[in-house]
Amino acid sequence: MLSGSKTSFKIQQHAPGPALRGPKSSDMNSKRNRNGQAFPCIPGEHVLEEAARVRKIVRSRDGEGSILGTLYCTNLRVAFVPEPAPGDTAPRRSTCLHCEHDVALPCIGRLVAVNSCKAKVLTASSTLKFNPEELVLYCRDFRVLRFRFRDSGSEPRAFQVTLAIVQAQESSSGSAGMWYDSGAIRNLENAWLSTEESSSPPTLLFERPCDWEKELRRLGAAGWRVSPVNERFDMATSLPKYLWVPSRLLDNELKRAFGHFNARRIPRLCWHHPGGSDLLRAAGFHADSDPEKEDVRSVEALMLAGHAQCVIVETAADLPSPAEIQLSYLKLRALCLPDSSVADEKWLSALEGTRWLEHVRACVRKACEVAALLAERSRSIILQESDDRDLNCLLASLVQVLSDPHARTQSGFQSLLQKEWVVAGHPFLQRLNLLRDNDREESPVFLLFLDCVWQLLQQFPASFEFTETYLVALHDSSYIPFFSTFLFNCQWERDRRNQHRASNQIYAPVNGWREPPPLEILQKGGRLVKERGGPYLPTIWDWALRYTPQQRAQFRNPAYARGSGGSTTVPNGKSAPLGGDKLEAAPSGNGAMYLFAKGALSPQTHLFPWKNGSLSKKGWRRAQSSESLSEQDRSLRRKPSGCPLQPEELLLPTSVGPLIRLWRRCYLRGSQEVQRGLFASTLGELAEELARLRERLGD
Amino acid sequence: MGGVNYVSRRRAALQPEEPDEESWEELVLPPCPLAGSAAGSWGGREAPGAMLGKGAGGSSGAKPAKPSFVSYVIPEEIQKEPIEKEVNLHLLPGELLLCEANTVLKCVQEDGSNRGAYGKLICTNFKIAFLGDESASDDNEPEFKNMIIGENDITLHCIDHIYGVYDEKKKSLSGQLKKYPEKLIIYCKDLRVFHFCLRYTKEEEVKRIVSGIVHHSQTPKLLKRLFLFSYATAAPTNSDIQNQTMMFDAIKDWREELERTKGNMKYKVLSANEAYQVSEKLPMYFVVPMSLSEESILQYQGRGIPIWCWSCHNGASLLKMSVFPKEQEDNTSQMHKIFLDGVYKTINKPPYEVLKTDDLSSSLPSLQDIQAAYTRFKQLFLIDNSTDFWDTDVKWFSLLESTNWLEIVRRCLKKAIEVVEYLEGQNTNVLLVEENASDLCCVISSLVQVMMDSHYRTKFGFQSLIQKEWVMGGHCFLDRCNHLRQNDKEEAPVFLLFLDCVWQLVQQYPPAFEFTETYLTVLSDSLYIPIFSTFFFNSQHQKDTNMSGEGHNAQSSRFRFLTVWDWSVQFEPKALVLLNNPLYVEKPKLEKSQRKTTRFKHQRQLSLPLTQTKSSPKRGFFREETDHFIKNILGKRISKLINSSDELHNNFTEFYDSWHCKPVDFHGLLLPHIEGPGIKVWAQRYLRWIPEAQLLGGGTVATATKILDMIEEVQSLQKKMDEKHSLTVPQGREALPMLRNSARLSSLFPFALLQRHSLKPVLPTSTWKDLEDEDDLAKRDDEFVDLSEVI
Repeated sequence: MLSGSKTSFKIQQHAPGPALRGPKSSDMNSKRNRNGQAFPCIPGEHVLEEAARVRKIVRSRDGEGSILGTLYCTNLRVAFVPEPAPGDTAPRRSTCLHCEHDVALPCIGRLVAVNSCKAKVLTASSTLKFNPEELVLYCRDFRVLRFRFRDSGSEPRAFQVTLAIVQAQESSSGSAGMWYDSGAIRNLENAWLSTEESSSPPTLLFERPCDWEKELRRLGAAGWRVSPVNERFDMATSLPKYLWVPSRLLDNELKRAFGHFNARRIPRLCWHHPGGSDLLRAAGFHADSDPEKEDVRSVEALMLAGHAQCVIVETAADLPSPAEIQLSYLKLRALCLPDSSVADEKWLSALEGTRWLEHVRACVRKACEVAALLAERSRSIILQESDDRDLNCLLASLVQVLSDPHARTQSGFQSLLQKEWVVAGHPFLQRLNLLRDNDREESPVFLLFLDCVWQLLQQFPASFEFTETYLVALHDSSYIPFFSTFLFNCQWERDRRNQHRASNQIYAPVNGWREPPPLEILQKGGRLVKERGGPYLPTIWDWALRYTPQQRAQFRNPAYARGSGGSTTVPNGKSAPLGGDKLEAAPSGNGAMYLFAKGALSPQTHLFPWKNGSLSKKGWRRAQSSESLSEQDRSLRRKPSGCPLQPEELLLPTSVGPLIRLWRRCYLRGSQEVQRGLFASTLGELAEELARLRERLGD
Repeated sequence: MGGVNYVSRRRAALQPEEPDEESWEELVLPPCPLAGSAAGSWGGREAPGAMLGKGAGGSSGAKPAKPSFVSYVIPEEIQKEPIEKEVNLHLLPGELLLCEANTVLKCVQEDGSNRGAYGKLICTNFKIAFLGDESASDDNEPEFKNMIIGENDITLHCIDHIYGVYDEKKKSLSGQLKKYPEKLIIYCKDLRVFHFCLRYTKEEEVKRIVSGIVHHSQTPKLLKRLFLFSYATAAPTNSDIQNQTMMFDAIKDWREELERTKGNMKYKVLSANEAYQVSEKLPMYFVVPMSLSEESILQYQGRGIPIWCWSCHNGASLLKMSVFPKEQEDNTSQMHKIFLDGVYKTINKPPYEVLKTDDLSSSLPSLQDIQAAYTRFKQLFLIDNSTDFWDTDVKWFSLLESTNWLEIVRRCLKKAIEVVEYLEGQNTNVLLVEENASDLCCVISSLVQVMMDSHYRTKFGFQSLIQKEWVMGGHCFLDRCNHLRQNDKEEAPVFLLFLDCVWQLVQQYPPAFEFTETYLTVLSDSLYIPIFSTFFFNSQHQKDTNMSGEGHNAQSSRFRFLTVWDWSVQFEPKALVLLNNPLYVEKPKLEKSQRKTTRFKHQRQLSLPLTQTKSSPKRGFFREETDHFIKNILGKRISKLINSSDELHNNFTEFYDSWHCKPVDFHGLLLPHIEGPGIKVWAQRYLRWIPEAQLLGGGTVATATKILDMIEEVQSLQKKMDEKHSLTVPQGREALPMLRNSARLSSLFPFALLQRHSLKPVLPTSTWKDLEDEDDLAKRDDEFVDLSEVI
């Protein structure tokens, strides 16, 4: 949260209370500047170069100004520490890993040095021949940081610090593994996390079976179980350890299915609708495999999941490919930079030309269609993408945000991201290209998802527990390489790096700061060390590592109106019997299979690409009388009663042109046209006043 | 209720021929078009409707090929079981029923489904109304109800276009009709679209209603035939409502305004025009520079005279002037020039050395351009049916851009900022010049005042401003809105353009305005309600000369017109709540604002390159290019500055940028963002009738609900605290009645009712036939019909 987001975060103006006091990290890691102020390095970090009395140009709602401070270049990041105001004794930095003045080296997109008549893009190969007066950092997360050396007495160091940044940035890119090999964040969480004192439910990381069990119970999916078949990643390396599969399907039968899907990613449950429908996701069929009859049976049982009707959603059919997403993202970033030379009157068509909003619209529309299909009647819906690792993540999670009020709370949303993105094997490392090692695979599918969620937040401001600020923070987090969440391509890789990590998978949000336990206790094997020994990286859900309590307070939406019923009182009576009887009684080819693509359902006769694996069309035709078919039609059209959920629990966004908007607070941060959201802070102020009044009256 | 009585004069003009006309039938249709059986049953046979509608529709007697709507009720059923129900026809005082037609089907097209409701279509001298059971069946009375214009009412002035559908073809209806259409499509100026199907209506009723509607809405009218006069004659003369809005029809209003703005040092109110001897375009009272003599004003007949609009806190003033006619002999114009120079000299007393003259007709788009742009723009929102909407959707942004409307909005805002810069930044008087000083002059001068003077951002202040600059300023509402249908060429949505510009400010700085966008929207709707005099005259002179009743006892029967500012005529108190912004920042605390401004000392020390860089075409994102990067670093705005040698532009950019670098004071100067992303579509006004743009339980109303709830709670808590301290007798708490049931609201609130409890159109209806096999279809041919054919 840097310059632009100062619209909401004003931590610099507040003197942090004693509770927020950040720990002074050990002296051996920190250099002291001439003011005697330490730069709080994180373990493994060391300062390469520094320049004091640098002015950082700040633009915000409150106007443009500059902050005097010290610019550091370390082996991990470029950091700026403002000088404390006279009389202000409290330490400025209250979070150790990220603050609005910092930028991690991989997040720097472009470095430009300026003096009165020259501007030069700095790369490792280029030589800097002048002493820069200003240094501009264009970040990949749409921020633009400007540091001014002129007129502040910092000129002498300008040249050195600039060169150091260039070199550090160069050496950071391409060197995959430097982040975790250096053990940079080792034990960091141990030192920072306070005891479990959670006001909100914890984020489920879905690394342990109990998380899967817990979530399955919450969904009330009776016919499903947690299968540990992939516990050692021997079925599929990119899949999570645990899978939700139909209860009646034994692991032996289950194993028959793996080979017939790309990358062995079989259909598995994502979400269970209280009305009985099931949402599944799977990779495309492995075309070259030659399944036996038994194998086909297993695949069918997985896909039908006990339902009479199964709809296969071709995820890629209407959605952009990762390459297209990347292309339009680059165009969007070029358009949103302050130097964009698009004339004001051509802005709208330039925006359309990026096609970014078109992609957003396609995703929202498709998710809305799938959510409606889920709510209409009891059926199984399978999202199928050829590798099941990109747009399936997006679509599966977006559908759940629309359908499940729990996914619209902060902890629910984080659990959702863990389940559908992190452990499901979205290749974050490739897609975000954090280490800059392969540009070809880069594609911000996840950022597209965040944009989609933002659209929903715009359209339904009272339905989300979190705010736009939270989404911006999440957006920023995707470019910070200190966390395990976005640094790996799949759970298997993550586990290999974190192998010594003990079982501390349930993350509990942190309230406030605590003095880190003395080093001795950690080494002697105190409780914390016992539980959390070994080098491992924290997850990004440890918001306290990066954001102050005041900042985190901005994550909570004051306009949030909790659903009347709440997720616990979801009616379960209607859920379709998923019993084995039905499964047993349903021989091969007894289910109705439909294909959903481009907004239309069409019956499928040849579902599988394999010769002997076709569903007999006559089979299911005969099985269903025309009467029951028309009955089925009727139930689809029957309006409110056809949907078991309350209308406020199912969000039905519109994806029409005028209502799909540009996420200005995220994308336009670099330029001046930063705007406050409608009602954003004022509503917050109102909520504060209300709390104060209540307090004063509370007796 | 502000004194308007609904005198129910049912059938004042037309006596019913038969008793059964007293009541008419409505049938609520099946809510969804599954109806395969119902639709199919009559689609398969000879359509019974054709018998009724044949002659009128002029269809060649064969069964109607591909009707463009679907009905699920067989007209025979209507005859069989008519639901006797009295539907109240509310007629305003002076309103006369002119013609009516029964069994009209009003089609509702949403979800891609075709629904409809039967009812009666009537035409009066005030409005077209559809009387059906449709909305009454909904148990919840709309909370935001207009008491003058119902949901299915269209005032005659609100009609934009009338189309008739003949055999699937849409034709514009005007003049004498030879053939009568089977369907009537009415486009309204407030962007509603109505479809009335006349297929089941008796032929002579079709003739009567269609020709009636076309005649009364399309043919040129005389001013005296406006409903305004019939209403004023018949309505009980209500006592003058005390209104805080300054009407500027009295000399004291002008004096007060001069005093408030401290313009009274150099300007004076003239009453020379009390009997309109100076000019008919000018109001009775107006303000001119001190030095101007009454004789010279009489000499030039009000033309070519600088007229005061407003004075800035620093003494600089905004003036306007209509151009001196060019065809005058050189002699006169020479004299005029000398005269003006004299006047300027007196205005331009030091330190105000310059008077900047801005000829708006050359620096802003012409009225024709504005009208053309708006015509294109509104087409995007006048949606015939859902498919149209989805078609435009794909290219939404480029379509929007190509209409040029937002660009015109931007140019007006930019021009206003330029004027503000002269007044505020350079202490210069500004004289706006335009042909009649009553079109774009009104837009720019009012915009400047809204931006600079927080008084005009209150509701009463804003209304006073419209009175001062528009109503008294002689904006030709009658011609620009084409209320009389006398000359299409004079039509131009100038006032709407102004409201759109103000909306941009409102949505950029919501806490700075006492009113909401809903206020602006209902104000724009009020342009077409002819019971208020505000927008139905070209000038004060025209109003005054038409005030007296026809001929006999003129003095006693002076009309009493309502003013639109009396909002209680249109809305109940609980609906009026929605016009006020609950988050309006009322009074700034002085200390606070001072602290704010000093926190960030603005320093403007940009390292501007001194060498002129050659402009290069736009390069790739990460390409190395020195001069391009200078632009990067210094930002777009500065680069403009480098490349422009124009000092004027330079000043403007500097002023604009430096203002945006400072904290916003909601009670001080307010400059809008005019960059590409800054100008938006006034979604509430333009999208409110489009079901596809509706969000169930969503939109800003969801936040607004929460805000109102919280404000209410804060108030009640404060009250409790007061009670605790002062031990006064607690008064009955007044709960805000609005927005109680937020779950039922949608983003279209408060305008469209929440009518759909259904799911979104997930699947186009036609695709459902894919679910059926050919043999199945054949088997059940008699009861199922292919939906794609009837749509």
